[in-house]
Amino acid sequence: MTMLVEFLHFAWRALVAQFSQVPPLREFAQHFYQAGVGSVGLLTMLTVFAGLNLSVQSYATFERFGGQDFLGMFAGIGGVRELYPVMAAVVCGARIGANLAASLANMKISEQVEALEVMSVDPMRHLVAPRLWAVTLALPILCGYANVVGIGASYVGAVWQLGLDGGTFTSQIAEYVGLADLAVGMFKGLVFGWLVALIATFHGYRAAKKEGAEGVGVATNRAIVHGAVMCILLNLVISWLLYG
Amino acid sequence: MRPILQLLATIGAVFSFFLDVVHTAFTSPRYVAEMLRIMATLVKRCIIPVGLAVAPVGAVISLQGLEIFRMFGLERMLSSLLGTAIFREYSPALASVMVAAQAGSSIAARIGTMKVRGQIDAMAVMSVDPMRYVVVPGVIACLLVAPLLNVMTNVLGVFSGWFFAVPLGGVNHGAFIEHLTAQVTPADLWVGMGKCALFGGAVGLIAGYLGMNAKGGAEAVGKAANDTVVYTIVLILLVDYVVSMALLGAGI
Repeated sequence: MTMLVEFLHFAWRALVAQFSQVPPLREFAQHFYQAGVGSVGLLTMLTVFAGLNLSVQSYATFERFGGQDFLGMFAGIGGVRELYPVMAAVVCGARIGANLAASLANMKISEQVEALEVMSVDPMRHLVAPRLWAVTLALPILCGYANVVGIGASYVGAVWQLGLDGGTFTSQIAEYVGLADLAVGMFKGLVFGWLVALIATFHGYRAAKKEGAEGVGVATNRAIVHGAVMCILLNLVISWLLYG
Repeated sequence: MRPILQLLATIGAVFSFFLDVVHTAFTSPRYVAEMLRIMATLVKRCIIPVGLAVAPVGAVISLQGLEIFRMFGLERMLSSLLGTAIFREYSPALASVMVAAQAGSSIAARIGTMKVRGQIDAMAVMSVDPMRYVVVPGVIACLLVAPLLNVMTNVLGVFSGWFFAVPLGGVNHGAFIEHLTAQVTPADLWVGMGKCALFGGAVGLIAGYLGMNAKGGAEAVGKAANDTVVYTIVLILLVDYVVSMALLGAGI
């Protein structure tokens, strides 16, 4: 409970810091690069498997009632609206969030944050705000990228591996997956990115000096787990509001 | 060339570590009490995050599936999609990912800390085999805990799917239950449980390997914990795909 109150307080301060001033651009660019470009390799690999898997798995299900021709629609809608954005958020959240939490917690336990405060540099503006902006803007791009790679992979899975008709698959994707769905996927990325970064910086910032190295471990672990759980829960809320 | 060689060397090292673990697990002495203690901790730590992560998935499948099935007027068929998807795929995969995030990283951090502080070497000096006392109980605990949690998440996932389909989506309750029981076979359940045990064992194995190979200070421990999560997620998705293809080929 106290953690929740602390979190809300932190979120409010972070929001104020984020919008009260242009973040330091150098810091922003550095974190944007680390979060965005640094995740591309991992994300590509995972999305390829997830896309292939989506085709193969749903084929087995749809075959039971002879609906395999609708695989394209299912893989397209399910993938673009739900699977790829959530996967990008969970996986990149694990990678980026853990890094953010670990680096901030390290600064906290070696009293670098206090040193900044002593020099009357606001750590919220200089440490937290650029990281939040970087991840918030990087994740939608990663989600859009994951959508493209994922659709490609599920096409390969459906057409090359399972021998479905390629024309049917593409025409179903074209018919049922609209720009609105891609936009929803990227919007989810925006929300998840902000949330993942906020949770990670919160746990990093919360590490106290007396906890020492263990505090860093606790902060990273919580950043990963809380980030993933919150993204999945929030995904349900967003989907419910939009499609329910 | 160099990175490829390095990758091959790592795979070889992990494989020989795996053989070592298997060999140790099947010879005595076994530290059963230690394993049960780790299992209890893992269940306590994982049950809430795993439940919270998997339950919404059933709801999302219902939400999107309902929209698709409605186009053909097949809403009553929804539960067969929901049941197979949850039992076979999403519950095992997601539960294992969360076990990796929560349990795997803490096991890696624990072993890594012991390694960095020299406790592992001290153990070996006292002629307690660290593989036997530290690594193997962790691997077996993960291997058993993941399927146990999977039982819970199966129920949660189907229930949240039911909630979004029947009271909220207006599907007939009788039709929902009928298709669920008719289309979802015990084979689906066992496939999911088997996968979950496989993934859980992989979580423990990778956590143990990375923990035992941590070198340096506190940073190395953090890195081992992080890498465990990332590598396990990659491995889970990869193995999931291979298993799905194999099962499709075998017609199960």
